[in-house]
Amino acid sequence: MVEPSRELRDICAIVGAGNSRLGRVPGVSSLDLLVEAMRNAIGDAGLKVSDIDGIVCRGPDESYCHHQRVGERLGINARFSTTLDNGGASQILAVALATMAIKAGLATTVICGYGRDAWSRTHVTEEARVRNETRPESLRAQEFGPEYGYFGAVAAHAFGATRHMHLYGTTREHFGHVAVAFREHALRNPGAQMKKPLTLAQYHEAQPIVAPFGLFDCSLRSDAAGAVIVTSRERARDLRQPAVSIKGFGSYNNLTGWFTGDNMVTTAAKQSGEAAYKMAGVGPSDVSCAQLYDCFTYMVVAQLEDYGFCKKGEGGPFVASGALRMGGRLPTNTSGGQLSEAHAEGVLQVVEGVRQMRHTYPAERQVKDAEIALISGHGGNQVCHSTLILGRA
Amino acid sequence: MSKGKPVPHPAPESEPYWQAAKEHRLELPRCNACGQFWFPPSQSCPHCLAADFAFAPVSGHGKVFSFVTFHRVYHPAFEQEVPYVVALVELAEGPRLLSNIVGVPPDKVACEMPVKVVFDDVADEVSVPKFTPA
Repeated sequence: MVEPSRELRDICAIVGAGNSRLGRVPGVSSLDLLVEAMRNAIGDAGLKVSDIDGIVCRGPDESYCHHQRVGERLGINARFSTTLDNGGASQILAVALATMAIKAGLATTVICGYGRDAWSRTHVTEEARVRNETRPESLRAQEFGPEYGYFGAVAAHAFGATRHMHLYGTTREHFGHVAVAFREHALRNPGAQMKKPLTLAQYHEAQPIVAPFGLFDCSLRSDAAGAVIVTSRERARDLRQPAVSIKGFGSYNNLTGWFTGDNMVTTAAKQSGEAAYKMAGVGPSDVSCAQLYDCFTYMVVAQLEDYGFCKKGEGGPFVASGALRMGGRLPTNTSGGQLSEAHAEGVLQVVEGVRQMRHTYPAERQVKDAEIALISGHGGNQVCHSTLILGRA
Repeated sequence: MSKGKPVPHPAPESEPYWQAAKEHRLELPRCNACGQFWFPPSQSCPHCLAADFAFAPVSGHGKVFSFVTFHRVYHPAFEQEVPYVVALVELAEGPRLLSNIVGVPPDKVACEMPVKVVFDDVADEVSVPKFTPA
């Protein structure tokens, strides 16, 4: 039996968190957005750049050894630095790897982050949009997909939604509750990309994209970046911000594929969450708020079940009960999430989890008495998952 | 015929699959050690890792495991096709294939619907397996 090590529980803290400008930031590369978020995180922590001796990040798919370019921009050498390749699961894995590197004595203060220029890149020309949307498929052998008109992440996740609806009677109305709740949260976040209210009626009226998903089931195209700084609990005591403790983390990767077995309905969040709960010594009933990887509304429903906040198949009624809203049983994606704040492949979920644990938000944005935050990352052709559990230090 | 649509550019290990499809036969790799079929084609059995296999015919019957309906045009060649259904078909022999469901309106497609293979001659030398209600 593999057991996550409890020796890693509460030994490190997140002492800085920052984001770049979010939404539409034309003329700034994904690398410079990331560096902007990192500068903000370093300033937030009250550190000097020279205090940073580790970098763990994920680069754009086309970038080679991205961590080198980040170090060059920051003007530092690093004891420990690398680039991860687990898609949207990378951002939490970066925090996990930073913790392990610090425990191993290979670094003292590690900066983690991710940035993308997805809005700018897809709004230059129509041709650029088409190329971007079809690119993930065209990178592989050109068979078993494009010839059937199968393109993109929307369709891949929609397959899971259809299957879940078939097995459990989940409805589009349920998915709509996710979109509406996160939009409410975004309206309290001045930095969020989406500024207008969203009603269930508007959700239903929106154009279908790949059914069962319509426009508001899909996350945003954003220029956006986020970064956090990990150091030992000992060092964290002397720094500017209330330290936020890394209580546990986990990961799981259904490498046999999204289309295999029941992977599209019971996702890798299940095993990833079990590992993280064990390391942290907590369970679902201890979690005060969740920051879940919401690339599509359905993925929130599936993860709520996989993380044990409700039974498998009951995610639809759970979200319809208002559980995800501020004041609900489990306020979720409290800055608006990727559906309404900005999409930076999960890193903004980590940033928001840290901010909730600090208790420095104005009352309308603060989850009351929040003690434990659960954060998820999902990606890599839908099969890679990571979990981070944070707590008040 | 479907003008301008992407045609398969097979990986070397899937050449026999597309050769059979061209002749309107659905053939998948089958392990000579454990007897199981698998998909997509590769050089060893993902069930038992044996490298002793041969392409063998399957029944062409299966059911819809899940499906989606494309309303958005992601590729200009599909502009006249929307809305169209892309389904994950689970063959009677076990493997799941991504394909289109044809010969039925999108709103009549359902999970578990029985389907059978048909072949679409998309180019002179290329036929693509699709599925229709059985």
